[in-house]
Amino acid sequence: MASEPATDYAFQGGPGAFEEEAGHEEVHGLSPWRLALRRLKRNNKVAIVFGVLFLLLVAICLAAPLWANGPADTDPYKNHLTETIVIDGKKTNVVSLDGVPIGPTWQGKFFLGADTNGRDTAVRLLYGGRNSLLIGCAAALITALLAVILGILAGFVRGFTDTVVSRTLDVIWAFPVLLLGVALGTALSLGGLEIGPIKLGAGSKLIPILIIAIVYVPYMARPIRGQVLALREKEFVEAARAQGMRPSRIMLSEILPNLSSTVIVFLPLMVANAILLEAALGFLGVGVKAPEPSWGTMIGDGVKHILSGPHLAIVPGGMLVLTVLALNVFGDGVRDAFDPRSTVRMEH
Amino acid sequence: MRRFWWAIAAALIAAAAMSVSACGDDDDDGGGGGSGKGSAELTVASAGPDNADPVLFQTVQAVQVFQLVYTPLVTYAHEEGEGGTEIIPGLAEEVPEPTNGGKTYEFTLRKGLEYSDGTPVKASDFENTMKRLLKLGSVWSSFYSGIVGVPEFQEAGDFGGDIKGIETDDASGKITINLTEPDTKVLFALAEPYTAPTPAAKSPGKSLKQPPPGVGPYTLDVVDFTRKWVLTKNPRFDLPGIPKAKFNKITVNVSDSVTKMTQDVINGDADFMTEDPTGDQLPEVRAKYKDRYSEAPNPPNTYYFFLNHKIPPFDKKEAREAVNYALDSRALVRIFGGRLTPGCTFLPPDLVGYKNYDCKYGDPNGPPDIAKAKQLVKESGYEGEKVTVWTNNKDPRPAIADYYRDVLNEIGFDADIKTLDQQVYFEQVGLERTKAQTGFTDWYQDYPHPGDFIDVLLSTDSLQTEVTNNQGFVSDPTLDKKLDELRPKTPEEAADEWGALDEYAVNDQAHVAPYGYEESSSFFSERMDAQNCSGVHPVYKNDWLLFCVKE
Repeated sequence: MASEPATDYAFQGGPGAFEEEAGHEEVHGLSPWRLALRRLKRNNKVAIVFGVLFLLLVAICLAAPLWANGPADTDPYKNHLTETIVIDGKKTNVVSLDGVPIGPTWQGKFFLGADTNGRDTAVRLLYGGRNSLLIGCAAALITALLAVILGILAGFVRGFTDTVVSRTLDVIWAFPVLLLGVALGTALSLGGLEIGPIKLGAGSKLIPILIIAIVYVPYMARPIRGQVLALREKEFVEAARAQGMRPSRIMLSEILPNLSSTVIVFLPLMVANAILLEAALGFLGVGVKAPEPSWGTMIGDGVKHILSGPHLAIVPGGMLVLTVLALNVFGDGVRDAFDPRSTVRMEH
Repeated sequence: MRRFWWAIAAALIAAAAMSVSACGDDDDDGGGGGSGKGSAELTVASAGPDNADPVLFQTVQAVQVFQLVYTPLVTYAHEEGEGGTEIIPGLAEEVPEPTNGGKTYEFTLRKGLEYSDGTPVKASDFENTMKRLLKLGSVWSSFYSGIVGVPEFQEAGDFGGDIKGIETDDASGKITINLTEPDTKVLFALAEPYTAPTPAAKSPGKSLKQPPPGVGPYTLDVVDFTRKWVLTKNPRFDLPGIPKAKFNKITVNVSDSVTKMTQDVINGDADFMTEDPTGDQLPEVRAKYKDRYSEAPNPPNTYYFFLNHKIPPFDKKEAREAVNYALDSRALVRIFGGRLTPGCTFLPPDLVGYKNYDCKYGDPNGPPDIAKAKQLVKESGYEGEKVTVWTNNKDPRPAIADYYRDVLNEIGFDADIKTLDQQVYFEQVGLERTKAQTGFTDWYQDYPHPGDFIDVLLSTDSLQTEVTNNQGFVSDPTLDKKLDELRPKTPEEAADEWGALDEYAVNDQAHVAPYGYEESSSFFSERMDAQNCSGVHPVYKNDWLLFCVKE
């Protein structure tokens, strides 16, 4: 369950740190990226394994249509309530007359069983994974984009802009993430979102993406602001100012590149948290709208049948755990690679 | 120092042991799985009434609560089974026989009646209740549209105005109701709790957040609309023929999780649940708690999909017929966990007027005719039309909607789902401006009269209210004309004609898409006497006045 990331956001990296680290290892002429990659390969093979695992999970989910159109011969929305399937030469109802769905058949059709509407659990799991990953990744990217913009503005411009941005972030921060997500999800689930020319239907996946993105902005924007506050006092920024460079140019060409490692470190952890929040929202019925599957909605539907069909909750739950675990271990490895002294953490 | 810490640890262990043993004692005494509330209190788990105002509620959950608080002029006998359909005197001295060719009903209030707050009951309070019901746009308004002056009162929209057809005399306690045309269902409708008088001074022409006093075995306090309602014994209540309160207090805990409600009843944290166990709790409850669980097709009910006649695609008969051909009740039986009896009639079995006619769309227990449905969709010209299936979040309704969406897609529509909270759902889909194309709905008998189904749910008259129960906005002159002919007749007199009208509405016009009748359940905690006091009632579903605790 995603909770609020730690407030311990002091990131002590930056170009100086890379140079210093590089000096210790007597590696010259390597970019921070190459250096980090080398450090990751050398020191944290477990992180690489989990990174590969994550990529594997993504690949499996992306291949969902191959499984659906091939062995499963169905789609994630198709009900098979009155159908039967032959298992070990015996005809079995996909859903029994008193509503209990079939368990795993370990064959093409209903490989992981069916849900109460007779939908193929394996197919929904793969399509649900696509939705969960899409929402998690998109939300994390939007969070990163907003956080970088707001963090740079607040940290570099300071003054009134800083006050407005920081207090707004404080207000969002003051709400528990899940509560804020549920409140926004409930409010937007009926009529969708309409702001000027932007119109999003109630069933649009952009709604959970935006909700998750917005609620997590403070958790990333505040550390970035802190880092920008430090960077703006550095010599290279003063030099740029002395050369007559405009503030906007300084922000883009001097400050922004120095934030890249922070963003890279944050991203996997942010994706993991976004996937968890999506699952929580889906579980509570305010995430992805039916009939679209997601791991959260599948778990939510599955717990009602945990005794007669434990696979309905356990399978998507397992996938969720694997994905988040993979992202977290990989994210920790990336952080250590970029700056072993960093204290950036996101709690789970 | 070390000895000191050992002493502290020993004290803590002893305290923990004592508290554990104390818990054990509670269980033994309470006999209610830990509830420990004794026989004076009852706890009910429920999805909750949908409105705190006694003239605005709509649901079966609400009627179970409000009938305990508000006694109308005449009421239904508090008896299980068929006996519960009998109309008996409530606040009136007797059940009137209609006069003036069936157009006039005269009531006389009993002497010395008082509301739960001690205010005397006045005849004019009844007219005030009727005005509130009509002015506030209660979905029940259409039941009373045949009273002289009601359309004019509604059109004027002035709460201070007069309803000509209701004459009251506070001194004598006389209430006279004049109808424009004879209508036998009016007396049945007057026995509903939403017509019960409430003090005019405390019942203004606006929606109430806290229920006003009534004359009933209990008083009602809405502690928290979405969480807790409390009924407290009314010591002033004493009406012949109506049982007094057995429990000093009834707490209704509101939840939208049927799973939790079921678990609460199993654990003894709730004594009764107004909902039906679903999911895998249903087989468990059926198997393990046979002695305190029962199922019955009660009250008579119909489950169907409404089809909005005013907007595409169901403004075309072919599209509506296509839905009827495509529905597979066998699939829906599974979603209901076996608690659905497949059927194609709009009037349910066990209701006067029910006719088991041949289903034009095929055997309800057999497979659907998808090919025919696809052909009809093509003929309608709406192939590929976007359709939103409306439903609410109460189990198993999301699953029902998902099945229906799949069917619509299979026969050529482009369907998706919109899910609302159960507490606002019927209000939303009953508004014309919502433009709900089609969706889940059901109807439980309010009173034992076929007009409570066909007249209330399919007539043009039922569209007079802002929020209508005619969610398909059916307006069929042929059906309306036939209803005009049937209203003066008693249900028994016109049973065959009601059956024929049902056949016309479903087979000829496909006004709705019925698929079956639910077996409602009654599930009690261990301490309740479920065998002898289940209170299964044909109007109230479960009459809580009949509940009792084991000796």
